[in-house]
Amino acid sequence: MFHYRKVIAAATLTTALVATPFTAYAADAGTILLGSAISLTGKYATAGHHAKTGYDFAIAKINAAGGVKIGDKSYKFEVKYYDDESTPARGGQLAERLINQDGVQYMLGPYSSGLTKAIAPVTEKYQIPMVEAEGASRSLFNKGYKYLFAVLSTSEQYLASAVALAARVAKENGKAPGDVKVALAFENDPFSLDVRAGVMDDIKKHGLTVVIDDKLPRNLTDMTPTMTKIKAKKPDLLVVSGHSKGAGTATRQIAEMKLSIPMVAMTHCESADLVGKYGATADGYLCATQWAETLTYKDPMFGTAAEFNAEIKKTVPAYATKSVPYQLAQASAAVYVFKDAFERAGSLDKEKLRDALAATDLATFYGQVKFSEAGNNIAKPMVLRQIQDGKYNVVAPVDYASHELQWPRK
Amino acid sequence: MNLHFAKIALYAGILLLGIILPIIFPAYMGQMTLLWLMVIFALTWDILGGQMGYNSLGNIFFFGAGMYVTAMVQIGMYYDLAEYTSPAGGGIYEFTFTQYFTGMGVGFLAAAIISVLFAIVLGRLVFGLRGPYFAIGTLAIATVVGELVSTWELVGGGGGISLPNYPGEPAGSRALFYSMMFILAIVTFLFLKWLYSSRFGLAINAIRDDEEKAEGMGIHTLRYKTVAWSVSAFFLGIAGAIFGNYNNFIEPLEVAFPTTTFGIFMVLMVLLGGKGTLWGPVIGAVLFHIIKEITWTYLLGWQWIALGVLIVITVVYFQQGIMGWLMDKKPHWFGIRVEGDKQRLSDMVAGEAK
Repeated sequence: MFHYRKVIAAATLTTALVATPFTAYAADAGTILLGSAISLTGKYATAGHHAKTGYDFAIAKINAAGGVKIGDKSYKFEVKYYDDESTPARGGQLAERLINQDGVQYMLGPYSSGLTKAIAPVTEKYQIPMVEAEGASRSLFNKGYKYLFAVLSTSEQYLASAVALAARVAKENGKAPGDVKVALAFENDPFSLDVRAGVMDDIKKHGLTVVIDDKLPRNLTDMTPTMTKIKAKKPDLLVVSGHSKGAGTATRQIAEMKLSIPMVAMTHCESADLVGKYGATADGYLCATQWAETLTYKDPMFGTAAEFNAEIKKTVPAYATKSVPYQLAQASAAVYVFKDAFERAGSLDKEKLRDALAATDLATFYGQVKFSEAGNNIAKPMVLRQIQDGKYNVVAPVDYASHELQWPRK
Repeated sequence: MNLHFAKIALYAGILLLGIILPIIFPAYMGQMTLLWLMVIFALTWDILGGQMGYNSLGNIFFFGAGMYVTAMVQIGMYYDLAEYTSPAGGGIYEFTFTQYFTGMGVGFLAAAIISVLFAIVLGRLVFGLRGPYFAIGTLAIATVVGELVSTWELVGGGGGISLPNYPGEPAGSRALFYSMMFILAIVTFLFLKWLYSSRFGLAINAIRDDEEKAEGMGIHTLRYKTVAWSVSAFFLGIAGAIFGNYNNFIEPLEVAFPTTTFGIFMVLMVLLGGKGTLWGPVIGAVLFHIIKEITWTYLLGWQWIALGVLIVITVVYFQQGIMGWLMDKKPHWFGIRVEGDKQRLSDMVAGEAK
């Protein structure tokens, strides 16, 4: 008898323990729950935090302005976040958890193409519309996903214009494009590999010569081997893509090894805060950007690009003294795209929302958003900025350029 | 008799739980799928680490190999693999119901066979190493292969591969991968239970206790070691193939050959549960997975520290693991008759004294 009591006690305890985490999320009437697995720790933590700030800022702003109006009801956005630790193995599991355990029906994207590649199959499986702002690799848009929408331009466009610029400069200086030596240093991840694919296409088109073509490990903290080769081969153009860490490491080591390269182009300058951290050593760098606060885009919610920029600087102290990275702006744009689609769908129904998203043609402070059949944004160009005396100035493409290219960099 | 009945009840209970729990809590099916994967990890690691005394840190290699082999087969059967995995994208790739399941069937088979072949070939290279050298040697294999695959353009390099989408309802795919992992875990367990009860089990135990002596007794140690590793590779290869499809996206360093996460977890789970026992790895895996899920949910930001503390406590204070501790404290639960042994011991002592 005594034993039975023990068994019953144990069973009750186990049930209680098992049952505790099962309290399902009950959506309040009037809130729309979004979910996102985002990199708060690990190698993409810097950019992950930018993206999260962008989401949070847009949500606060939209909620303060009355929220999302569906029919005659108005809803407030709310987000459930998990930390994916910057690893795709974790990202997929967390997406499952958000959908199955937290009852998330609409997803905001993670940071990086790799994580998006891990999460997109899950959202696709459950037919959960996902608007993502940080996964740019073209390999995301050839799997026939119908619930994936990306507000940003795809990665092959990031640095292609830098190659064209190098070819132009060569011609102006009486050099044949074939004499322009290019060094490539790319992180071995879906995003950078696609940036490289775009750069390679343009190198072929303009007939430049590749002298170094390095693929670098993840979590880039050392690029000395590449820098040593650069010292020996003296390239005219160095192209780097390795998220925020890659940009920081490259800048630091170029300065440490006193390399003089007439043209340096990279991604993630703003996200890595090159100007703030490295000052004059980053001067003259060409930086690919999805968005610039000097562009003339605007919308009724956030105002112009410049107003968005000013408001972030005012409300988020961390950005008061440094440039607002485009990773943040596009995250805000993703939330805005959701709001617009919900209102046009006039319903919380996932399918109606998906169709509304697919039909999006929206002017935002971040640029025009219009999705292709595959879900990538085809309405917004990439721009190239140069760091000139600590300021980011648009130098390409010609239609958007506000400043002349400074070449060679000092 | 009583012990026998308890055992049957235990097996039936576990089978029942494995079937009923995902039906009652379908939202947690994902975590439960991973739970069975952890059980497979622990069981297969213990073949060498516990039963044979060879601490391999590279078993994760077979997991990744199975994953990549099946992905290559599944995609390669219907599309141009290089084009499919290219970072620049290309066409739209969709798989029909028949293509999906045919590809998966052939892929799993290939994954199992090739993993075993790898074990046989690599066994020749590393079984000359002993102790820590073996651990480092196997770790090197897993690390090097992960790096090599990440530069192999045919399989997308560091960009990884998105596997075919399941061509049906999402609930179906969840149930499918759960069942696969559950059945594989049960089969692995039963196979090992049989294997350890056979002459083979005694032979690998002999290798653990004293390899020279075992060889002196006429045991062909290399052959036994290779077979033991192949068994590990077989089940890990299939587990990798299932996990790749379950996860839908694979890439070399963090999903397929993650030496610092899954690769270490398998060792830790066995140590926690008790190495060299049949049930130890199972208990260790279940406990570890629960602890991990809880800390990852409620101690976010501190999860790795919690895990580190667990490793330190296990390794420093609790080396024999839960099963070892239980066997020590409650030997009669395991049918070990301490009295008889004591009697025999005292007889021996008495005999020697004469």
